[in-house]
Amino acid sequence: MSDAILVVGGGIAGINCAMNVAEYGRKVYLIDDTPSIGGMMARLDKTFPTNDCSICIEAPQMFDVDNHENIEILTNTELKKVKKTKDGFVVRLVSKAKYVDEEACTGCGACVEACPVSIPDEMDGKIGGTRKLVSMAFPQAVPNVVTVDPRCRYGEMQAEGACIGGCAVDCSQCRECPIALCVKACEKEGKKAIELWQANKNKKLEVKSIVVATGLRDAPPGGDLIDYHAYDNVITNMEFERLMNAGGPTAGHIIRPSDQKHAENIAWIQCAGRGLGKEKGTPYCSKICCMISAKQTIITKEHDASVAATIFYNDLKAYGKGFWGFYTKANENGVRYVKGRPYTVTENPDTRDLTLRYESLDSGDIKSETFDLVVLATGVIPNNRNEKLAKILGLDLDHLGWFKEKDPMMAPLKTNVDGIYLCGGSTGPIDIAESVAQACAASMRAILA
Amino acid sequence: MEEVRVGVFVCDCGSNIAGVVDVPDVVKYANTLDHVVVADEGKWSCSVDYLNKLKDIIREKEVNRVVVASCTPRTHEPLFKRATRDAGVNPYLLEFVSIREQVSWVHMKEPEIATQKAKDLIKMGVAKAVLLEEGHEIKLPVKTDCMIIGGGAAGMSAALQVASQEFNTYLVEKEPELGGLLNDLCFLSYDGHNIPAGRIAGSLVERVEAHPHITIFKGTRIQSVEGYIGNYKVVLNTGNGEPGNLDISTIIVATGMQEIKPEGQFEYGNHPQVVTQLEFEKLLKDKALGANKHVVMINCVNSKNDVRGCCNLGCHVSVKNALAVRKLQKDASVHILYRDLSMIREEGRYLEKAKKLGIKFLRFPDDQYPRVSIEDDGLSVKTRDILLGRDFTLSADIVVLTTAFMGSDTVDEIKGQLKVSANTDKYFQEAHVKLGPLEFPADGIALSGCAKSPLFFKEASEEGIGAAMRASIPMKNGFIEAEGIVAYIDDAECNQCGLCAKRCPFNAIVTDEEKHPEVIQALCKGCGLCSADCPQECIQIIHYSDDQVLAQVDAALEENAEKKIIGFVCHWCALGGVDMAGVSRLQYPANARLIRVMCSARVSIRMIQRAYEKGAAGVLVAGCEFPTCHYITGNYEAEKRVKRAKRKLAKQGFDPEKLWITWCSAADGPKFANTMRDMIKELDL
Repeated sequence: MSDAILVVGGGIAGINCAMNVAEYGRKVYLIDDTPSIGGMMARLDKTFPTNDCSICIEAPQMFDVDNHENIEILTNTELKKVKKTKDGFVVRLVSKAKYVDEEACTGCGACVEACPVSIPDEMDGKIGGTRKLVSMAFPQAVPNVVTVDPRCRYGEMQAEGACIGGCAVDCSQCRECPIALCVKACEKEGKKAIELWQANKNKKLEVKSIVVATGLRDAPPGGDLIDYHAYDNVITNMEFERLMNAGGPTAGHIIRPSDQKHAENIAWIQCAGRGLGKEKGTPYCSKICCMISAKQTIITKEHDASVAATIFYNDLKAYGKGFWGFYTKANENGVRYVKGRPYTVTENPDTRDLTLRYESLDSGDIKSETFDLVVLATGVIPNNRNEKLAKILGLDLDHLGWFKEKDPMMAPLKTNVDGIYLCGGSTGPIDIAESVAQACAASMRAILA
Repeated sequence: MEEVRVGVFVCDCGSNIAGVVDVPDVVKYANTLDHVVVADEGKWSCSVDYLNKLKDIIREKEVNRVVVASCTPRTHEPLFKRATRDAGVNPYLLEFVSIREQVSWVHMKEPEIATQKAKDLIKMGVAKAVLLEEGHEIKLPVKTDCMIIGGGAAGMSAALQVASQEFNTYLVEKEPELGGLLNDLCFLSYDGHNIPAGRIAGSLVERVEAHPHITIFKGTRIQSVEGYIGNYKVVLNTGNGEPGNLDISTIIVATGMQEIKPEGQFEYGNHPQVVTQLEFEKLLKDKALGANKHVVMINCVNSKNDVRGCCNLGCHVSVKNALAVRKLQKDASVHILYRDLSMIREEGRYLEKAKKLGIKFLRFPDDQYPRVSIEDDGLSVKTRDILLGRDFTLSADIVVLTTAFMGSDTVDEIKGQLKVSANTDKYFQEAHVKLGPLEFPADGIALSGCAKSPLFFKEASEEGIGAAMRASIPMKNGFIEAEGIVAYIDDAECNQCGLCAKRCPFNAIVTDEEKHPEVIQALCKGCGLCSADCPQECIQIIHYSDDQVLAQVDAALEENAEKKIIGFVCHWCALGGVDMAGVSRLQYPANARLIRVMCSARVSIRMIQRAYEKGAAGVLVAGCEFPTCHYITGNYEAEKRVKRAKRKLAKQGFDPEKLWITWCSAADGPKFANTMRDMIKELDL
């Protein structure tokens, strides 16, 4: 039986877990269901409470796992079936086609340039970033290869102007495509890396133990109190993160979606969507949002000290080392903290500015104030694939949808299935440092399984 | 001496490079350079086909220095290092030149200028390659003896994991019994489930004490620690007065925390019925509430102020203990006076339960703490509730102060013994706040639990297990290995000033009684801070020696120096920013000739001075954006040194304004491109 270890999820927890196991001398399969490892952290601009640039510190670790001889990275790959055996697991995976030969692609980007269709980038939501139908997940992606949008291959993007045009032949039938511009561009570069005829690949692994590091996601904004969907200039904090990122769609310029004007007066609303019921928000405190907003306001002030930044909050969570100092720093940089939760917002149709009404907890007064951009701290929720994964792995979820530890106090990170362990955002709201610490612990668990 | 034979391999990267740069012309040029015996063009140098060809050429032409001119070393250096090694050449004899990210992608509209820049960069690469020396990965043996300092939750969890790998585990506890803070607690609560702390502590202690691979030293303190990973000599001051000597390979620090006694605050110390949560917990544990029917808790004592932050634990602990009071005495009243309620996840439900049971929560203003006064018939607490907007006076049988924690008193000693740092609250400073939470900068010492910051039991146990992992890796492998880019000292020139040993952030330089420094190369990370600071200039870094870097400067400035900017860029972030500018196809002026160093702290004043002497139009030092640094504080050191360099240059009659610094994140391509544009403008090029 193999003594390899499977790590499910290539975010910062999965990367650290894999690296520990590999350094210990054991074989690791690191799988991720997106085209690149990196996870949530690769989307962030900075990290609290130090304002370290997120990708600057994550990318070297991504290169390290990529280059480690004990680690095999499988991206665009999902678990299909897991069977427990006497001394381990038989795992069946499916690697969804990227329509690219990963060995041959050099990430040069010629195909991306040639692709005629731009679509909204999921990562950038409302703030308007786009990507091509063939694209790299992000510049530092590992593996550093492009992925072709499957909709393109199935002809679903014809109306959008996809180059396949009226071709009636199913891509899986052709080995030489005379039409697709990405294929031609690649051939012009002397390569044949784009393979529109690729099929999904199945793979079977035998592993000794499994670590679930599937992470969390930012909660979608609810439509109730502060209507994200009705007003262009209401965005989520993850969208703001992309807005302030020099590598993001606005090259780090903090501009508002409605008219691309520089935002001068920005409000952050904490606990946006809290307690609004399971469908609409988070019925609990996500703990990291207070520090995310402190970070975003500090960076905003660093970009341009004249921008007014106001944070509406209820209970301040500064639970970690250096977090209170970070909050103090925000205060010193001129960020205004208002104890109170806004309950309505109205838009001035001419200026597209937003007026918030709120009750000040300090004075008890009802007040209203106008801002040109509103950022919602929506909290974090379980990954939407947890339910499916739990079924495949035979794991229990708690009533909120997080993976459940069997005995959190006496046997942390162990699950109801012997040989399967948890770390990072699969267990609940968590920050990066805690994820890394848990990843170290989960790797120890997996090794000693 | 062996003849130096350089092979230059220039990549087309399809049309990515060849579409802008005249690669055949560059190859022709490379062939004319001294020591170059072969130069070749590859359409895709990283393809398996070409790598095989490259290896054949190396063997056939007996190449012993390899220059690859292609994309960026940040992604492709390992690949070409492997190919070089496969061809029988030491991989440290490879020099990587970036002509895609630094040339063809950023000067797309100026093919001639781009071609000239590519030639220059290759000339610089060859000049360095000629001087390259072999490097070797360095191994330091590590045996399997682990000492864990602290026998609380984290320490015991760590010990069990280490010992279960059959490593010799030595658990040192200063108190007469194992258990740490667990011994003082009534019960622990997680996600609404309560478990008696005694049961948890009992189970852990029993397993630790019964484990055949764990040796326990109770009532013992550390007297001295000398050495480094794999080679620590530890002297213990054991409980029975006999000294204990241990040979230790790795260390896990789990020294825990202690409650800060709020002497003189809220009548604590003046009235026996004003107690801390920990003292109150003891009453709960002993079921000794007695006549204490009216309990008032005051949260955020000694925390969230100018001195220290949130205590991390108090909100949860106050609610937990309030529920415990109600369990013991149904008719007791409990008021919790708080500032913010930091209840996460399931704790929200816990809070609801407490409210349902009639526990009262009053929220006092941040700047107006409750006041406790001693009355004839007990205690009285005056407070304001901001939610109701009115004042309350509560009479109390007992007032419980939820006070903050600080690290153990032993931290002052231990930080000196291990040469690590701690903050003013005696919490140890981890290697990296985000990505290195369970270790110190120096190899071989792991950190866990409340020794780093206040944690709940579950988190502390997890950290203990995680720290065990970090300490186990070198013990399992039997060695630690460093990349060959390390420092070495020319003893003949050294005047034993001791500066290098003091400056090394990784404790990799040790000195003997006569202050002779020795680099423990396996611990060296190759940042070059010691080298650049050495007053005798007698420390060199393999692959980044003074001679090699100066040769690059000289080669770059051989022609048209007055138009050129010499840029020293750190490998991690600044070069990342340069690469990002390339990937984003940001177009900027082609005046810069960049020289890669591992850390901006490697850039010595001498290097900067050389560029001035050779007539450079400007000099740029580029490192990681603060506070990020791959070597902890290298960029801070570089900033200080650049200031010194400016003063020195001014004294020598040079214009210090030509020396620029920029701190650039790896995501910030625009910043690097803008710096280039600004320099061109300001320097009038």
